[in-house]
Amino acid sequence: MSLVIEQVTKQFGGLMALANINFSVNAGEIVGVIGPNGAGKTTLFNLITGVLTPSSGEIRYQNQPLVGLKSHKITELGIARTFQNIRLFGHLTALDNVLVGAHCRTQAGLWQGVWHTGSQQAEEKDTRKRARELLELVGIGEDEASLAGALPYGKQRRLEIARALASQPNLLLLDEPAAGMNESETDDLQVLIKKIQGMGIAIILIEHDMGLVMNICDKLVVLNFGKKIAEGVPQMVQDDPAVIEAYLGKEEEEDAEN
Amino acid sequence: MFWQQMVNGITLGSTYALIALGYTLIFGVLNIVNMAHGEIFMFGAFVGLILATKFNIGIFGALLGAMVAGAVLGYLMERLALRPLRRRKVSELAPLISTIGVSIFLESLALRLFGPQAQSFPGVYSTQLFEIGGLKISAVQILILAISFGLMLVLRFWLSKTQLGKSIRATAENIETANLLGVDTQKIIVLTVMLASALGGGAGVLVGLAFNAIEPTMGITMGFKGLAVLILGGLGNITGAMVGGLLLGVAEVFSVAYGVSSYRDAVAFGLIIVLLFLRPQGLFGSQEQQGGR
Amino acid sequence: MDFLLNPYYLQIIMFIIINAILGISIYLTMATGQLSLGNAGFMSIGAYVSALLTLKAGVPLYVAVPVGGAAACLMAAVIGIPTTRLRGIYLAIATLGFGEVVRVVILNLTITNGALGLSGIPSMSVMLSKVFTAMGLAAGIGGMSVRQLGNISVIFILAIILGFLVFFALRLSTSRLGRAFAAIKADEHAAEVSGIDTRYYKLLAFFMGAFVAGIAGGLAAHITFYIGPKDFAYHRAVEILLFAVLGGSDVVWGPLLGSLILTLLPEVLRFATEYREMIYGGILVIMMAFRPQGLISEDTLGFWQKKLMSKSEASTQGEISRRTTR
Ligand SMILES: Nc1ncnc2c1ncn2[C@@H]1O[C@H](COP(=O)(O)OP(=O)(O)O)[C@@H](O)[C@H]1O
Ligand SMILES: [Mg+2]
Repeated sequence: MSLVIEQVTKQFGGLMALANINFSVNAGEIVGVIGPNGAGKTTLFNLITGVLTPSSGEIRYQNQPLVGLKSHKITELGIARTFQNIRLFGHLTALDNVLVGAHCRTQAGLWQGVWHTGSQQAEEKDTRKRARELLELVGIGEDEASLAGALPYGKQRRLEIARALASQPNLLLLDEPAAGMNESETDDLQVLIKKIQGMGIAIILIEHDMGLVMNICDKLVVLNFGKKIAEGVPQMVQDDPAVIEAYLGKEEEEDAEN
Repeated sequence: MFWQQMVNGITLGSTYALIALGYTLIFGVLNIVNMAHGEIFMFGAFVGLILATKFNIGIFGALLGAMVAGAVLGYLMERLALRPLRRRKVSELAPLISTIGVSIFLESLALRLFGPQAQSFPGVYSTQLFEIGGLKISAVQILILAISFGLMLVLRFWLSKTQLGKSIRATAENIETANLLGVDTQKIIVLTVMLASALGGGAGVLVGLAFNAIEPTMGITMGFKGLAVLILGGLGNITGAMVGGLLLGVAEVFSVAYGVSSYRDAVAFGLIIVLLFLRPQGLFGSQEQQGGR
Repeated sequence: MDFLLNPYYLQIIMFIIINAILGISIYLTMATGQLSLGNAGFMSIGAYVSALLTLKAGVPLYVAVPVGGAAACLMAAVIGIPTTRLRGIYLAIATLGFGEVVRVVILNLTITNGALGLSGIPSMSVMLSKVFTAMGLAAGIGGMSVRQLGNISVIFILAIILGFLVFFALRLSTSRLGRAFAAIKADEHAAEVSGIDTRYYKLLAFFMGAFVAGIAGGLAAHITFYIGPKDFAYHRAVEILLFAVLGGSDVVWGPLLGSLILTLLPEVLRFATEYREMIYGGILVIMMAFRPQGLISEDTLGFWQKKLMSKSEASTQGEISRRTTR
């Protein structure tokens, strides 16, 4: 068992964003988290990464409790994430963004950085090499010198993944990575996610693109209004009446809006 | 002795509360700290002084004039130093820096217009002393207490009961939602800045009466105290500003009474540093938690 | 040569360098996106500690100045530890208040001589002149008196300190730490989630800024022989901030340019002295409205680099084509 979420609840004032959520992620698994907008999916990521603290409940990663740890500590333990609304360091180059991601796996301090000591030079060279490999992996190797903020949308999403991978995670949280991508980009993304899984990294994937989710997830967790309404292998969840209702209900609402 | 100091402290504190209200109103709606508030306050004091001495229009006329002057300065500041920054997304420190610019500009302007020396209001009220249950209280103190508490009550009532007041509170709550609900947020922002600055201008006259001396540099000293109260009460918290102001006034008066008079101006920030260690959200603020999306 | 040895000009050069060091101090803190308005306060701590150590305890100058910097650092811990975990506005206000508290305390202590300030602070140039005299150069060399020699050496020493700090800042900005700083400045939250201990680095940057400001204060004290509480009030804090706002705080050259312009301005323009504060205020407002990144930003540097490169390329190409046509 890699990540265990136990009875997790999060309230914002009177709003119950998540209520008594339980599920777990095994090493190397891809778990999809789906549900309509506002269901509490991103909140779940915020709780796992220590951005928010749960109102109650426990989160354990490799048997270590995460609640109360600072975000950077959790990253150091091996959990990395991307953001639904891309949050790159816009004025830094793509390569520098990935190098920042590698921060917790490197050592050079103030002294070494200023005096360019041998160990610092070696580390810098090695880190740069690995960062370039990651840029290649996500398919934006030729953009290393571009400013992150100037990259097209699809590439920014990939860069976020590269930055997250630079912290050498065992668990990667992807928040709607295919949002705004066209079909062929989404296909590439699917290949990439599979590749990352092949590297032995477990993934939690929040995604609205059902095709993508059905194709690659080993397990799905469905949230609606902060409650878990279904969990299981994709085919079973797809046929679950509660899930169908949640989604149909949402479609009707959307029609009404339009 | 103790209660006498208490009365003095509350009188002083009520003016601090009035200054801090200006900071807090602007912070609540625009999410910025208006570093020029102290100087607007100081200008209010001078305008009031000129009206009272040169035009002889009485203390209430002076107060009204000072508030109008404050509102005008607030309007100009909003147009020239705040609105241009809203055109694009800037860091929350940009308006802080911009209003620092306004503050030293106004201070220097005041030095040219009014001269560096301290001036005082005609001492018609300060000589009269009343005795209530063994406590001495001057007419000026009564006036200050009445006006500042009056203004605070009117403000509270106005914010909670009138349409415009409700719009201000909606904008403070969430500017985007208020926009969607059809509130003209641009107008509300201007109005808030003017209102806060008018309160500042009025406080200028009251402090001028309380200390019986006004000078261009008092914008900085009193502005600092307002800032201290802003943090003490919790950013954007109206009740916090009032209670925090009173608290600071009392703390200062007691620090003077019990022997550390020369450190009086440092009391405010001593309080802040201690508070930041113990309760960073301020006395009345609630813990804020912002998620990443 | 006479022009260069004019003590008035020498003094201006010294002030430019001191202000440039202050520019670096605010750059270091702002590199993490933090606004410190306490650098005048830190400067005063460095100045008073160093001055008092030399005056009352006879500590040598080269020990007293760094101790002053360390004392400033210690004070930075008192304000920084509670505030750096909060949003940026708290640090700005707390540092501003800190400056005020320091001023009030200095005004009231006997050892600091209150409002009168300290005078007769051991001067760096006098000390150096003595060293030269002891070396048997009492008559001076190359037409320079031993006093002028002392002044020139002071400038030389200040320039070396400044040079080192620039080197330090440049190396820092391209190192692992510098990247962490830049990430925090760009998006503190994303930086934390990317595995950076943002609190620690913000404190580190704040401490470095305080230390450098303290050093600048110590150096200033031993150049001007006199310091008083007025030298380090709110206006000084705003002036230091202005270095970074005018020049820009993205790259270290920004505050350096800012300090150069603002130190020279009153010397060059008479009316600028008279309306100094108003001009400062106007600059702050205008910069925030039209160019919040300051005169020099990373883009500007990139632009000029490209321009210069393409120019030299064009000229070499021109040369080649001329050769081939011949
Ligand atoms: N930091 C926050 N403060 C207050 N409410 C929040 C916060 N973050 C999320 N919410 C609320 O919690 C609910 C779930 O949001 P979110 O987790 O972002 O949904 P999803 O990612 O599934 O679309 C929403 O109603 C949202 O408005
Ligand atoms: Mg979401």
